[in-house]
Amino acid sequence: MDTLAFILTQCVNAFSQAALLFFLGCGLTLIFGIMRIVNFAHGTIYMAGAYLGYTSVRWLGGFVAALMVAPIVVGVLGVLFELFILRRLYGRDGNAFLMVTFGLALVLGDAVQVVWGAPPLQVPPPAALAGIAFFLDEPFPVYRLFLIGFGTVMAIGMWQFLERTRLGLLIRATSQNPDMVHALGTDVRVVRSGVFGIGCGLAALGGVLAAPLVTASLGMSLAAVVDAFVIVIIGGMGSFLGSLIGALIVAFVQVFGNYYLPEAALAFMYLVMLTVLVVRPGGLLGKEE
Amino acid sequence: MRGWIILLAVVVVLAAAPLGLPLFMMTLLTEALILGLMAMSLDLMVGYTRLVSFGHAAAYGLGAYSAGYILLHSDTPVLFAVFIAAAMTGIVAIAAAWVFTLATGVSFAMLTLAFAQLLYAIAFQWQQVTGGSDGLAGIPRRGGPFGFDLLTSKIGYYYLVLLCLFGAYLFCRTLVNSPFGAVLRGIRENENKTRALGYNTRAYKIGVVAIAYALGGLAGALYAPFAGFTNTELLFWLFSGQALIMVIVGGAGTLIGPILGAALFLLAQHQLSSVTETWAIYFGLMFIAVVLFLPEGIWGTLMQRLGRKTQRV
Repeated sequence: MDTLAFILTQCVNAFSQAALLFFLGCGLTLIFGIMRIVNFAHGTIYMAGAYLGYTSVRWLGGFVAALMVAPIVVGVLGVLFELFILRRLYGRDGNAFLMVTFGLALVLGDAVQVVWGAPPLQVPPPAALAGIAFFLDEPFPVYRLFLIGFGTVMAIGMWQFLERTRLGLLIRATSQNPDMVHALGTDVRVVRSGVFGIGCGLAALGGVLAAPLVTASLGMSLAAVVDAFVIVIIGGMGSFLGSLIGALIVAFVQVFGNYYLPEAALAFMYLVMLTVLVVRPGGLLGKEE
Repeated sequence: MRGWIILLAVVVVLAAAPLGLPLFMMTLLTEALILGLMAMSLDLMVGYTRLVSFGHAAAYGLGAYSAGYILLHSDTPVLFAVFIAAAMTGIVAIAAAWVFTLATGVSFAMLTLAFAQLLYAIAFQWQQVTGGSDGLAGIPRRGGPFGFDLLTSKIGYYYLVLLCLFGAYLFCRTLVNSPFGAVLRGIRENENKTRALGYNTRAYKIGVVAIAYALGGLAGALYAPFAGFTNTELLFWLFSGQALIMVIVGGAGTLIGPILGAALFLLAQHQLSSVTETWAIYFGLMFIAVVLFLPEGIWGTLMQRLGRKTQRV
C-alpha cells in the first residue's frame, strides 16, 4: 500500500469522525456556555437521534427527511425539558443539574430500549452516498466524504450564525452576562430554552449522521458522552471554536492512535486531556471558572 | 447525647443483623455498607469543602485493584491487605490532588474525571497487571495472621466492613468538627476570604482529597475480596456519577445522608431490576423528583424538618 494513499485514507477517516464529534461537542459546549449546565444526558440524546433517524428513514423514506425531522423532534423535547424541569432549578447549585440530567439519561436510555428494542438497528446510507470513490487507486467511502463536507458547511454556518446574526449576538451576550441582557429587555429565559433545544438538536443531528456508519445501538450513548466531555474539556467549556478544535484533536488521536498504538490509544486520549487541563485549566480556548 | 444513643442503637441493630437476615440479604447489606463508606468519603469533598468530584471511582477502583493485586500475588492476610491498599490510594491521591488543585470549580471536577478515566484506560489495557477487560478474578479472602480465620466467612467479613464503616464515620465526624474541618467549611463558603485569613487553602484541599481518596480506597479494597473480582467498571465515570448521586440524594454535608443514599441506591436498583425490565425509567424519575422536591437530600431535609419542629416546641 502506498504510504501517501494510506495517510490520506486515515485522514478521511479522522476528518469524518471529527465531523460527527463536532456536532456532539458543539451542542454540549453551547448548553454549558449559556446555562452552566454539564449535560450528562448528551450522549443519550445523541443515541435517541440515531434511533429517530432510523424511524424517519423507514417512515418518510428519505435520509434528508431524517436529517430534518430527528433534530427538530429532539430539539422540541429539549425545550420542553428546559421549560418544565430545568427552569425550576436556576439559582440552585450545579449539583442539581447534574442529578436531573443524569436522571434524564436513565429515563431516555430505557425509553429508547422500550420503543426500539435491544438489538442494534442498521440504517442504510442514502443510495447517492452509498458508493465508493477512487483516488490514487485507493477506495474512499462516499459517505465519509459527505460527512466531511457537511460538517464543514455546518461548522461555518454555525460560526456565521453566532458571529453575524442578531440571535447569535444574543446567545454570546447571554453567555457573558445574562443579567445585563435581561436588563436590556431580552427575556433570557427564552434564550436559555432555545439554546437547550438547539444543543439537543445538534446532538441528535450527529446521531442521525453517525447511524449509517456505526448502526444505532444502545451502547453508543456511553461512548458518545465520554467523547463529548473530552472534546469540550480539551477545547474549553463554552467555547464554540474550542469544540471544533477539540473534535479534531480527539478524532485524530482516536484514528491514528488505534492504528499505530492500539494498546495505548485510549490512555493517550485521556493523557492529552489531562495535559491540556494542567497547562490551561479552563481548556484550550476556555476561561477558568 | 441523644445522637450518640441513636448511633449506638443503629450499630447494635446492624451487628445483630446476621442473626435475623438470610445470607443473600447479608450480601446485599455488606455491599450497601461498602458503598456507604465510599459515598461518605466523597461527602468530605463535596459536602464539606465544595470540591465536586466527577472521578471518585478512581479512589474506589485504585483501592480495589491494589487489594486484589496484593491478595493474588502475595500471602498477605486480607485484614492487612485492605489497609495497605487504602494507604496506597491515599498516597497516590496526594500527587493527584496537587494537580487537581491547580484548578477550581468545574475545571477541578473535570480534572478528577480525567484522572479517573486515565486510570480506567490503564486498567483496560495493561493486561499483565490488571487483567484488562476481564479484570482480576479469584481474589481470596485470606485469613490470618496467626490462624485468625473469622474473615474468610461471609458473616465474619460483614463485621470487618461494619467496623471499618463505623470507625471511618467516627473519624470523619471528628475531622469535620475539628479546626481542620472548620477551615474546610471556610473554603466551602468563601475560599478567598479563608486564604486572606492566612490559611494555605491549597494544602487543606490536598489534605482533604487525600483523606477522601484513602477512605474511598478502603471501600474499594473491601469490595475486591468481598466480590472476589475487580473489573474496569469500578473505575468508569458512570460509577463516579452514581457515587455523586448517592451523596446528593442522601444529603451532602451530613455524612449519614450519603451512607443512607448509597443503601437506598443499591436497594432501589436491586428491587426495581427484579420487578421490571425498565427499572432505569423509574430510577431516573426518582432522581428528578428528589432534586425538585428535596433540595437538601433525604437526610438533610429530614434534619431540617426535625430542627424546625423542636424549635417550635
